[in-house]
Amino acid sequence: MPTTIIETSGLTKNYGDICALKPIDLLVPEGEWLSVMGHSGSGKSTLMNLVGGLDRPTSGALRVGGEDLLALSEDGLARFRREFVGIIFQQHHLVPYLTAVENVMLAQYFHSVPDEAEARSALERVGLGHRLKNRPGELSGGEQQRVCIARAIINSPKLLLGDEPTGNLDHKSTVMVMELLKELRAEERFTVIMVTHNQEVASWGDRTIHLDDGVLVREERMSA
Amino acid sequence: MVAVKFIPQILAWIGIVLVLLRGFPGRRSLVTAASIAGFTLGVAGTVILFRSFSGTTPFGVIKSALGVNFLVLWGFAVTVLYRSSGQGMTNWWEKFFGSSLCAGGGALLAGVMAGAVSACRFPGADATAVALLLLVLVAGVLALEALAVENMLPASLTVTPAGLLSIVVSLLLLSASSLLRLDLFSPLSMKVMKGIHDFVHQFMESILVPDHLFVRSVVWKYIGFLFGKEVGFWGGIIIWFTPALLITLAVGSQRLPSVAHIRQGAQRRKLLSDALRSRRLQMVMPLCSLAVFAAAAYQSSFPSVEYWDPKPVAVTANQSGEIFIPKQGEIDLLDGKLHKYLFKQGGREVRFFVLQNPAGQLTVDLDACAICKPDGYGQAEGSVICYYCKTLIPLETVGKPGGCNPVPVHFTEKADGVAIDSVTLINSWDTTVKVTARGKEGGK
Repeated sequence: MPTTIIETSGLTKNYGDICALKPIDLLVPEGEWLSVMGHSGSGKSTLMNLVGGLDRPTSGALRVGGEDLLALSEDGLARFRREFVGIIFQQHHLVPYLTAVENVMLAQYFHSVPDEAEARSALERVGLGHRLKNRPGELSGGEQQRVCIARAIINSPKLLLGDEPTGNLDHKSTVMVMELLKELRAEERFTVIMVTHNQEVASWGDRTIHLDDGVLVREERMSA
Repeated sequence: MVAVKFIPQILAWIGIVLVLLRGFPGRRSLVTAASIAGFTLGVAGTVILFRSFSGTTPFGVIKSALGVNFLVLWGFAVTVLYRSSGQGMTNWWEKFFGSSLCAGGGALLAGVMAGAVSACRFPGADATAVALLLLVLVAGVLALEALAVENMLPASLTVTPAGLLSIVVSLLLLSASSLLRLDLFSPLSMKVMKGIHDFVHQFMESILVPDHLFVRSVVWKYIGFLFGKEVGFWGGIIIWFTPALLITLAVGSQRLPSVAHIRQGAQRRKLLSDALRSRRLQMVMPLCSLAVFAAAAYQSSFPSVEYWDPKPVAVTANQSGEIFIPKQGEIDLLDGKLHKYLFKQGGREVRFFVLQNPAGQLTVDLDACAICKPDGYGQAEGSVICYYCKTLIPLETVGKPGGCNPVPVHFTEKADGVAIDSVTLINSWDTTVKVTARGKEGGK
């Protein structure tokens, strides 16, 4: 029986008068790939930000990896993000004037100490061994997203969050990135929360939840 | 005003208790109690010393104890540097450092030294029981305050045994350096200067070359540089700072843990990062002690004591060559203060002073000694001080020849003043000061 890595109870988030997330109860077992679907403004990214410690909820309970995120100080939350979470964004957020390997080393630096050999190895794992010294502007969208994946996994996170990671990619690149994530998950055994509005991308997961206007409206388990 | 004089002692005491509490985190109550008890013992012991011995003996005893502390720090610094190079040594002292005996004993000893130095702030045996009791009470309250402040320091700020010793000794020396008679840095500089001086002479003798005769004056100019105050000062600085530097170096070169066996890169890097961070934080105390040592050396070189240093009054000799200075008049020679005079004759200048010592005897001395450059003397805290080498001469010994004492001049005491033979005065200056002090450039 897998242990629960994410546990929310009555989790809400308001931005002023706007209620972005209405009370949500959610359990995510360790190692699961959970896809979060919904239209724009449905609260997908809000949920991901709360679970990843990027934002604080308005009310409710939230435990991730045994840590009560509401009880953590700002420093504690920063440590949690540093050591527990890896994030892949749609817009990549790579530092444009650093090379691929330096972008990965930057994540190592904020976690502990940089190790170039390990960063090179991570890029080789995502198939970018030949692009180590290229800057983001010299890489294709798919390649940039693979750098992001290398950066996200370099610190061996227990939880990998993806916010529309394939939103800007064509079909071929999307499949390549998703296959890569599947392989890495099998090796590293991290839990994946993937926010997407693409049904095909969501189908790569073990389970999908659907949000609508901040409410969890539906849940479906994918067949193996 | 009295409280202001105690500022260095108060700051040093708070610092000592703080670092002791941080150095022995599991034994806070023991450390607090032992340090307060030690402070009380130190104050009581100093009072007993002052009541049992007269003159400079009590100061000498406490100064020697401070010197022993500094020597222990030196020994410890060399040992930790040796250990950091990976040389095999038993870890018995690490176990000892973690024991209650070390925590209690160390805090007690540090308290004794801090209490003794603080008690010396009072003028010797004249200290009243109320004043001393107040001192102990204030120290106790400050120690309890330090207990509260220590809780606010970041938990990651840890102290190694060597770092702890370094900061405690530096704070004790800072506290002592504000008292002229307990200051260690100036005597250390003097010892260095004298050591070099003696070595050069011994060396010349060992190669059978008599001084001056066969050595050209230009060579002596360079040898003379070795005898200068600056060489003593910089030599003293090296000896003063080396232990704290060695400890900083030893902490900085501590071996990192072996991580080769850890498979996961992130875990391996995290372990290394934690070890590096811990090592950096452990360097904070030795680096702070360097700053405290610097403050102590500065305080020693530029003491905040105001010296009585009157402008020399020009005097002349009568037709028979006698200089007469009246006891009473514009200047009262019997007020126990140093009074300086300047005698000029045929391009020659002699500075001298008249002083009535605590025994009530008048004494006439050159404003220079037979050793140093003739920078002159000032008067403060029951002594005169040689401005050149910062040596303190108790007022009781002024008028006696030798060492760094002002060179005594023969004079005749009359009912209404003192009479000095001008020829004797000039000859005395020429034969002692001018020759030994190498040159005419000296003097203020």
